[in-house]
Amino acid sequence: MTNPVTSPVASLQPASPLLEVRDLRKSYDQGRIEALRGVDLSIATGDFLAISGASGSGKSTLLQLLGGLDSPTSGQVLFNGALLGSSIDLDAYRSNSVGFIFQAFHLMPTLRAVENVQVPMLAVAGSPQSRVRKAEALLREMGLERRMNQYPNQLSAGERQRVAIARALANDPAILLADEPTGNLDSVNSARIMEMLTGIQAKRGMTLIVVTHENEIANAAARHIRIRDGQIERDNADRGRITQ
Amino acid sequence: MAIGAFVALVGFSNSFEHEWLRLYESSGTDLAVVQRTFFNTSVDESAGVKLRSLPAVAQASPMILNMMDLTPEVNALAYGWNADSYEFSSLNMKSGRHFRDGQPEVILGDLLASNLDKKVGDSIDIQGSRFTVVGIFHGGSALEAGAIILPLDELQQLSSLQGKVTAFHVRLRPVPAGESPEHYLQTAQAEIESALPGLRAIPAAERAGNNQLVLMAHAAAWGTSSIALLIGVFSIANTMAMSVFERTREIGILRALGWKRWRILMLIQMEAATLGFVGGLLGMALGWGALRVLAVLPQTASIVSASVPPLLLLEALGIAVLAGLLAGAIPAWRGSGLSPVEALRHD
Repeated sequence: MTNPVTSPVASLQPASPLLEVRDLRKSYDQGRIEALRGVDLSIATGDFLAISGASGSGKSTLLQLLGGLDSPTSGQVLFNGALLGSSIDLDAYRSNSVGFIFQAFHLMPTLRAVENVQVPMLAVAGSPQSRVRKAEALLREMGLERRMNQYPNQLSAGERQRVAIARALANDPAILLADEPTGNLDSVNSARIMEMLTGIQAKRGMTLIVVTHENEIANAAARHIRIRDGQIERDNADRGRITQ
Repeated sequence: MAIGAFVALVGFSNSFEHEWLRLYESSGTDLAVVQRTFFNTSVDESAGVKLRSLPAVAQASPMILNMMDLTPEVNALAYGWNADSYEFSSLNMKSGRHFRDGQPEVILGDLLASNLDKKVGDSIDIQGSRFTVVGIFHGGSALEAGAIILPLDELQQLSSLQGKVTAFHVRLRPVPAGESPEHYLQTAQAEIESALPGLRAIPAAERAGNNQLVLMAHAAAWGTSSIALLIGVFSIANTMAMSVFERTREIGILRALGWKRWRILMLIQMEAATLGFVGGLLGMALGWGALRVLAVLPQTASIVSASVPPLLLLEALGIAVLAGLLAGAIPAWRGSGLSPVEALRHD
């Protein structure tokens, strides 16, 4: 039987969605705050999806639930048809199938760039030599061959985000989730990071989901979802249909 | 600090016990005959007559053991022996001679003589009575090297124990052919205890470990060390709780990257164990240093040797690591249980 967490992207059947969200709800403070109010969504393998919305609209909450960082109050997230948190262990899902890129980079301050990239690999089997080789290859791919042994505080913001991207790719995930990846970067670095992300998505055939409040990035995505008050307000996969 | 206290205190009590054993071994004592009761520890001196008449007993020397303040700074173990005690055979007289019964004479261990700056012919005041130092000896144990030995009758008078002794030290006759030493010792024990109801005959090795002084030293050492260790556990727990709190976001990153809860738990526990291990090593050095100081201080030199048994060091290191793991358990459990989202939000 095929393990839905570790199935190679290429073996997926095109007909079935990679990620499917059914009536997803998330509330906080004993139900007083409803971050998501019944979201339904289907994401295919190789999609480049942008999620935008105002602050507090629920876009980051949606990304966290898609990434298995949190569990929904009700509703379901299915990966390759298997229910997250039930059929699929969330730790294993985050480790094997998802790569995260955060606005604040979230690198380990006491580790060098090459060591930071190896952190996700420590959660899966592999020899130390193979981990180092892979981390170095990924950093070279990000144009950081001369910065491998630097600590995060010795790197520029753009370089830190490139290390974070290399780390997100460490375990060859099927999905790359980026939460405001250019939020802490200047325009030059923002453009470079987005160029890298779209290049990686195209080259590896990965699913890229970016949460952003920047229209330029949202418009560059093949599919753009706008969230408002915890619900999908607009999804251009529905050919511009506005949902109320 | 806690491990330092443990090594120093338990090392102290262990070395005390070890020195007792050496004392008995060097004098060739096979059995110590003592009271069965714990608090009333004196035995009638007259029991010696009956004891010496038993077939297995070769020699039975009455003795008193006491601790005395010789100067405000120096106290020492004081032994009361008869002038014909077989236990003199283990002493190597460096100068002078043995004392005589009924005379105000003492002999001093070389360590004590050095601490008191006394030589043969000098006087020494003990509880208001003046004694002459007639000999300096080197003993087979630190308990002798730092001790003062005086006539039994004189010490009985000083201690208000006329007609009483602390114990009889017994040398048995050679083991008869065809009999095992263990069986012979057991038979002799039974014979003595049957002849002298109310008294116990204890093998020397056992007596070294369970005489009142050693038992109290062990109890005090373990009691004090346990309190120090408890404080140490709380200190490590506090350090680990702070450490986990300060790295909440890092824990969140690891959880977000797919690290399982048990792996985070192991990571924190490894740190706690390392903290305990390093603290243990430092504590061992500290405790060993303290023992070395105690071994040369006039007040304690007579009962402490500077050597620390390797097993005690291993035990101390084990306790330190265990204390680290125990102290790290709650912070590790709480840290590893953090939700990735909550942890990533932490400032």
